[in-house]
Amino acid sequence: MAVTAKGLVKRFGDRRVVDGVDIAVPKGMIYGVLGPNGAGKTTSLRIVLGIIEPDGGERSVLGNPRPREVSDQVGYLPEERGLYPGMKTVQAIAFMGALRGLDWKTGRKRAVELMEAAGLGHATDQKIRKLSKGMAQLVQLLGSVVHQPDLLVLDEPFSGLDPVNQERLEKLILAERDRGATILFSTHVMAHAERLCDRLTIIAGGKVRFEGTVADARATLPFKAHYVPHFPNDGLPALLPADALREGDGWRFTLPDEGIEALLIKLIEAGYGISGLSIERPSLHDVFVRIVGRDALEQGERTETAA
Amino acid sequence: MSNLARLTRQTFTIARRDFVATVFTPTFLLFLLAPLMMLAFGTVGGMGAATMAKSGGDKVRIVVLAEGERARTLAATDARLRRIYRERERPPVLIAEKPAGDVAKQARALFDSKAIEASAVLYGPLEKPQILYGPQGDRSADYLAQLAEQGLQVEKIGSTQALSEPTRIAIARSGTTAGGQGQAAFFTVFGLFMVSLLLAGQVVGTMAEERSNKVIEILAAAVPLESVFFGKLIGMFGVALLFLTFWGTVVLNIGAFLPVKLATALGDVGVAVGMPLFVLLFFAYFVMAYMLLGAVFLGIGAQASTQRELQMMSLPITIFQVAMFGFASAAAASPDSWVATAAELFPFSSPFAMAARAANSSELWRHGAALAWQALWVVLTVTIAARLFRRGVLQSGSPRLFRRRRAAVDIPVS
Repeated sequence: MAVTAKGLVKRFGDRRVVDGVDIAVPKGMIYGVLGPNGAGKTTSLRIVLGIIEPDGGERSVLGNPRPREVSDQVGYLPEERGLYPGMKTVQAIAFMGALRGLDWKTGRKRAVELMEAAGLGHATDQKIRKLSKGMAQLVQLLGSVVHQPDLLVLDEPFSGLDPVNQERLEKLILAERDRGATILFSTHVMAHAERLCDRLTIIAGGKVRFEGTVADARATLPFKAHYVPHFPNDGLPALLPADALREGDGWRFTLPDEGIEALLIKLIEAGYGISGLSIERPSLHDVFVRIVGRDALEQGERTETAA
Repeated sequence: MSNLARLTRQTFTIARRDFVATVFTPTFLLFLLAPLMMLAFGTVGGMGAATMAKSGGDKVRIVVLAEGERARTLAATDARLRRIYRERERPPVLIAEKPAGDVAKQARALFDSKAIEASAVLYGPLEKPQILYGPQGDRSADYLAQLAEQGLQVEKIGSTQALSEPTRIAIARSGTTAGGQGQAAFFTVFGLFMVSLLLAGQVVGTMAEERSNKVIEILAAAVPLESVFFGKLIGMFGVALLFLTFWGTVVLNIGAFLPVKLATALGDVGVAVGMPLFVLLFFAYFVMAYMLLGAVFLGIGAQASTQRELQMMSLPITIFQVAMFGFASAAAASPDSWVATAAELFPFSSPFAMAARAANSSELWRHGAALAWQALWVVLTVTIAARLFRRGVLQSGSPRLFRRRRAAVDIPVS
């Protein structure tokens, strides 16, 4: 395992921000930590990295119970981005490498290579303060991988990036995984998690609510059908499953256990016809909303607003 | 790589960043030339004050109401007596006024004259002279009394010629005097105070940069906070060394052009341990003073979250430095007193007081012990500052140090 955490607890005042979180990240995987705002994702990651000490539980990073002792093998992109504005990009990347044990000369050489590969070759001599927010964020990410870490921890890496830079970042994460690194990242944007994660955990209210693969997560919800009748009239809902909800010209309902065929025959025989029909696999977003619950989402948003 | 080697490498990575970020900026040039500006402003202010004093002093006179041979005798005696004084200490110019009518009334009227500003006036027989003096004229009155005494002796001898013909031989001492060592001790404390005032205070705001840029999270994840703190101290110490090297070179070169008289006057000023060792000790105590005060300032400054808070902290920080200077100066003035012992033991005044001791006393064992004691306090101060920072700013208590008190001191999440 690249990362294991058992029963992590962290209190701020009388609030348990992390409440018995378990995480197990196998080596070589992209592992997502999902959760609404204020769920305890960042605090959990900071505990794993040894930036803050837990009030309870234990953790191990790359087999070492003291994360700081293996910090040279770890890369980290924090939620709040931070770079020295007066530094040039190559120096900034080399500096982050030097903090993790990479010599400055190699750091500068790799920084240029990484920037060119990430499409930032034109900005190697620019100062950080001259970069756009997205570019600065990419530079910081490059700084977290310049020393070729075994474990890369990214806290909300996609926030604030435009779609082009989001795609660049996704490619970079995949390239790191292909290099052999383990990637642990937090997000509340499901699309990225769905595309990238080999495994994921969903945290809400400081507790783990789900752990498994994306497929496992989707399997927790049934398929949905979206049916649009050709000749609609008022008697239609009586033929549809009880959870059917009107959506525009059509109806959305859970796919019956015995399949859709029998229902379709009934609808055709009743004269409604079929103008459109789609069978939809549940998305990670659906799973997330069901697991976390709307209440928890709202509570998270309230907490964030208060903070 | 051993833990110590890793810590050292991380510390110097931070130090290097801070050094480069400070030195390779136009602002550093201003910082480097700050003493020149201080000197320039001081000179301009001094010249203004001197001009004012001179314009006021030009009209001041001491007056004798005498005429004829007596007036000439007193003038000759005045010329001889005046040579004893240094230029700035000489009494006001002497003038003789011819006595007319009521001399007491005449003497009193001189104080209301617009033509001159009488500081003191002598009249009457030299055996029993009357001397009037105005505000701040008491020394002039003393001088006139002495002038009357000497003038009377000249009159009795009947000649203004000097009776004695001394031969003066300047002697250079082979060693330093106790007074000279005391002066050296004071200069040492003052010198250390000035450089630490100018340089150690620079570290106060250095953590603010990391906090405002959010870089602190990157640093805290990669290196222990103690390394961050030490790195910042060492980085800024490098800046301080650059500053000292520059100004040291300037001062040494200026020293070559000092007047010979001044160099001779400084001959008495010396240090008990000998100059080469004193230079080494001075440097060692400068390092310790810088590290100790810097660690305190860095720790305090790290708690500030805004520029306003940083500015508010500068006053107590300066007061603290001045207090250490006062404490160590008292120790330098009386090296064997309990004040000296206390100043040498109190960690934050110890470098100043021990540097003064190097000037006052030739005992060496104390310096080894003091340097070890001060180094211990540097480590302690940095460790405590880092823990306070970790707890207050990163909201992470150290389990070993704080866990028992957690319930009482937990900080609410922001």
